[in-house]
Amino acid sequence: MKFSTKSFDGVPPVLSIENLTVGLTGNPAAKPVLNGISFQIRAGETLCLVGESGSGKSVTSLAAMGLLPKSALEVTGGRILLQDRNLLDLSSRQMRDMRARHLSMVFQEPMTALNPVMRVGQQIEEVINTHTRLSQKDRQKKVLDIMEQVHLPDVERIYRSYPHQLSGGQRQRIMIAMALILEPQLLIADEPTTALDVTTQRQILSLISELQAKHGTAVLFITHDMGVVAEIADTVQVMKHGELVEQAPVETLLRHPQMDYTRKLLQAVPSLTPRPARETAAAASALTVQGLRKVYGASGWLVNREPTNAARDVSFEIPRGRTLGIVGESGSGKSTVARCIMRLIDPTEGSVKVGDLEIATLGRAALRPHRRHIQIVFQDPFRSLNPRWTVGRSLVEGPLNCGQDKQVAMAKARELLALVGLPADAIDRYPHQFSGGQRQRIAIARAIAMEPDVLVADEAVSALDVSVQDQVLKLLDELQQKLGIAILFITHDLRVAAQICDEVVVMQKGRIVEHDTAANVLGNPKHPYTKALIDAAPGRDWDFANFRELKAASA
Amino acid sequence: MIGYIFRRVLAVIPVITIVAVFVFLLLRLTPGDPAAIIAGDAATPAQLEKIRTSLGLNDPLPVQFATWVGHLFQGDLGISLISNTSVSSMIADRIWPTINIAIMTIILSVVLAVPMGVLAAWRHRTWADYAVMSFSVLGFSVPVFVIGYIFIQVFSIELRWLPVQGYTAPSQDFGKFLSKAILPCLTLATIYVALIARMTRASMLEVLGEDFVRTARAKGVSETVVLFRHALQNAAVPILTIIGTGFALLISGVVVTESVFNIPGIGRLTVDAILARDYPVIQAMILLTSALYVFINLLIDVSYSLIDPRIRY
Repeated sequence: MKFSTKSFDGVPPVLSIENLTVGLTGNPAAKPVLNGISFQIRAGETLCLVGESGSGKSVTSLAAMGLLPKSALEVTGGRILLQDRNLLDLSSRQMRDMRARHLSMVFQEPMTALNPVMRVGQQIEEVINTHTRLSQKDRQKKVLDIMEQVHLPDVERIYRSYPHQLSGGQRQRIMIAMALILEPQLLIADEPTTALDVTTQRQILSLISELQAKHGTAVLFITHDMGVVAEIADTVQVMKHGELVEQAPVETLLRHPQMDYTRKLLQAVPSLTPRPARETAAAASALTVQGLRKVYGASGWLVNREPTNAARDVSFEIPRGRTLGIVGESGSGKSTVARCIMRLIDPTEGSVKVGDLEIATLGRAALRPHRRHIQIVFQDPFRSLNPRWTVGRSLVEGPLNCGQDKQVAMAKARELLALVGLPADAIDRYPHQFSGGQRQRIAIARAIAMEPDVLVADEAVSALDVSVQDQVLKLLDELQQKLGIAILFITHDLRVAAQICDEVVVMQKGRIVEHDTAANVLGNPKHPYTKALIDAAPGRDWDFANFRELKAASA
Repeated sequence: MIGYIFRRVLAVIPVITIVAVFVFLLLRLTPGDPAAIIAGDAATPAQLEKIRTSLGLNDPLPVQFATWVGHLFQGDLGISLISNTSVSSMIADRIWPTINIAIMTIILSVVLAVPMGVLAAWRHRTWADYAVMSFSVLGFSVPVFVIGYIFIQVFSIELRWLPVQGYTAPSQDFGKFLSKAILPCLTLATIYVALIARMTRASMLEVLGEDFVRTARAKGVSETVVLFRHALQNAAVPILTIIGTGFALLISGVVVTESVFNIPGIGRLTVDAILARDYPVIQAMILLTSALYVFINLLIDVSYSLIDPRIRY
C-alpha cells in the first residue's frame, strides 16, 4: 500500500474551521448537530472526513458552502475562514459570489445532481455566466477546455447532450468540470464516488487528484469508505455524533489509530480475504437456475428498437444452508436475475427450480402458494417497509396471506423479532422509529416469517454503515445456520461478498464470466473482468482490521 | 419526434370513433321512438313519419351510422329541429366568443397562478405560502355564479368601471372586448387560479428538494434563476396537465358564466338546446367537446416531450 507522504509544513491554510457549532433552527436547547468542530485544510491537501451516517460530515460541508437547509439547521457559533475571510459574516449575495469561484462542491449522486432538462454544456456554461463576463466564443472555448481536462470523450457531442444520455461516470465528470472551471481554492467532494462502480470510482478518484495537483486545489473529501481514504487522503479526520474524534496523517491513522472509535471503525471494514471455506454441502439443491434469459424491449408496432439482453444463459445452483454471491457492476444483470428468480418479472426463457418445483413457467395464480418458499430483502430499508404500517402488521402480512391464524402469526412475529435482535415492543412501532440497521433486521424478519427455503438478498447491506453492515452479515450467517436457508446474495461490493459467500458468480453485461468458490474467485481470478474488478477495489492491499499490510498477514 | 407525434395522432382515431358511436347511439337507443321524442307529445303521425325519413330512421342501424359519419366528414352536423338551420353554422356563429373568453381566462389564470405557486413553494410555511393556500381554498369553494354576481355588484354597479354584461368581438373593437370580457374571465379564472397555484406549489416543492437544485445553488446562481430556470421547467409537466384539462373544462363549462354575463357563446347554445330538446345540436356539442378534449390532450402529450427531453415514447 502506497500512502500519500506529501508534507504540508509551512503551507498556508485555505480553509480553517474554528469551533463550528450547528444546531436545530429555533431550538437552542436541543443537542447540537455539530459540536465545536475545528480543522484546517492547506493548499494542495486532501483532507478526508470519515464517519458513519449521522456523524455530521455532510452538515460540515454544507455549512462551509452556506447551503444548510435554513428551516432545519443553523450555525450557532464559530468561524469558517476561507483565506482569512469569515464566510459566516457574508451576506447571502456575497456568499453566492464566493461559490464556484472560491469554493465549490461535487455531490454524491451524479444521477440526480444535474438538471435533467438542460443540456450539460449549458449547465457548465451557467457557472461562467453567473460569475464572469466573457464573450459567447470564449465561454464555449472554456467549457470545452474543462471538458477535455476531465477526460470526457467527444466533447462537442457531450456538450449538447442531456444528463440522461450520459453514464454515471460521465455525469460525475461533468459535475467535476462544473466545480473546477473557475479554479476555486477549495473543492468539497461529498461522497463523490459512492454511487459509482469500482472501476469508474477509480477513474474519478485519479481524476480528482490529477486536477488537484494541476491547480493546487485544497480538497475536503467526505467518505465513509476506508478503502477510498487509504487511496487518496493526505490527512484524515474521524467524526462521530457531530464531534471530531481523531485527526492524523493517513498512514499514522491506519497504522496506529489512537481512539477506540477509530479502531472500531477500522475493524468493521470487511476484509477482501474470503471467509474460511465451509465443507462442501452434501445437502440437496435449494435453488437451481438453468439457462435463464431475460430480454427487454423487443420491437413492437411502429417501434423499432434493439432488444436488450439483460441476462442470458445464467445457470447456477445453491445447496441448502449455503450462500452464493452474484457480483458485478451496475447494468451487469445481477438484479434482473434476482427479480426473475423471485418472479417479480417473468424470465424470457430458462428454468428456475426451488427444491424440485419448477417456478419459471407457473402462471400467476399457480405461483402464489409457492411464493413463500423464496423471499427477498431489498437494498433500501428506508423505502422497502410500508411507513404507515406497524412492524407487526408488516411481519404477519405474508403468513396471513398463506392462511395462518392471526394470533399464531403475531406470536411468531414476536419470536422473529427476538431472533433478529430487536426488542419485543418493536412489534407495535412504525418503521421511522428505527435506524437503518434495525429496519434491515425488520426486513429480514419479514422475509424469514414465511419460512422460506431460499432468501434473496439484493444489495441488502449496501445502504448501511460498515459497523452495521458487519452486524447484519453476522445475523444472516446465524439465521442460515439455525434455519438451513440457502442465500442468494447480490452485491457490487467484493469485500462484502468475501465475508459471506461460499461461491461467487461474476456477471458482466448479462452473462456469467466466472463462477467458482469465493476463495478462488477473489484469490485467484481467471477472467480479465474479475481481475479488473479486484484491482479497482480501493485499499485492497491494506488489512484495515489489523492495521497493517495484507501481505504481512499472509506471510 | 415526428414519428412520435404521428403515433400519438393515430392513437386519437379509436378514441374519436368510440365517441362517435356513443353519440350516434345516444339518440337511436333512447327508449321509445326517437322521432316521437324529437317531435314531442303533440305530434301528428305525418310529422313523425317526416322526422323518421329526415333522420333516415327507416334504414338498418349500420347504414344509418355510415350515412351519419359520411355527413360528419363533410362538416354536416345535421339540421336543428328548432331553428331549422344547419347545426354547423349555428356552432360556427357561437364558438368564437367562447374560445376568446376561454383563451383569455386561461392566460389570466396562468399569469396569476404560476408566480403565486412558485412564491408559495419558495416561501414554504411562511405567511406568503399561507396566503396563497387560503386564497386557493376560497377559490375552490365559492361557486362561480356567486363570484360573478359579486364582481358585477362591485365593479359594474357600485364602481361603474365596467359594463354589466354583453360581448363585443375583439376584431370589432379590442378595447370594448377587454372591458366586457374582463369580468367573466376573472370569474372563470378564480377556480383555475386556485387549481393551478396549488399544483404549481406542490410540484415546485417536490422539485426544490431535488439534488440538482442544490447543485444550482452551489454554482452561486441567484434564487430567481434557481426558481425559474432550473426548478420550474422540471415542475412543468403536472402544471401543464392541469392547464390543459382546465382549458378543455373551460370550453365545456362556460354554461353558467355565459348565462350570467349574457355572452352569445356555445355554452348558452347548449343550454338552449337542452331546454328545447334540440337533439342534433346536443349531439354536435357532445362530439365537439370530446374532440376538443382529445385534441388538447394530444397537445399536452406532445408538449411534455418538448419540455422534458427524457420523455420520448
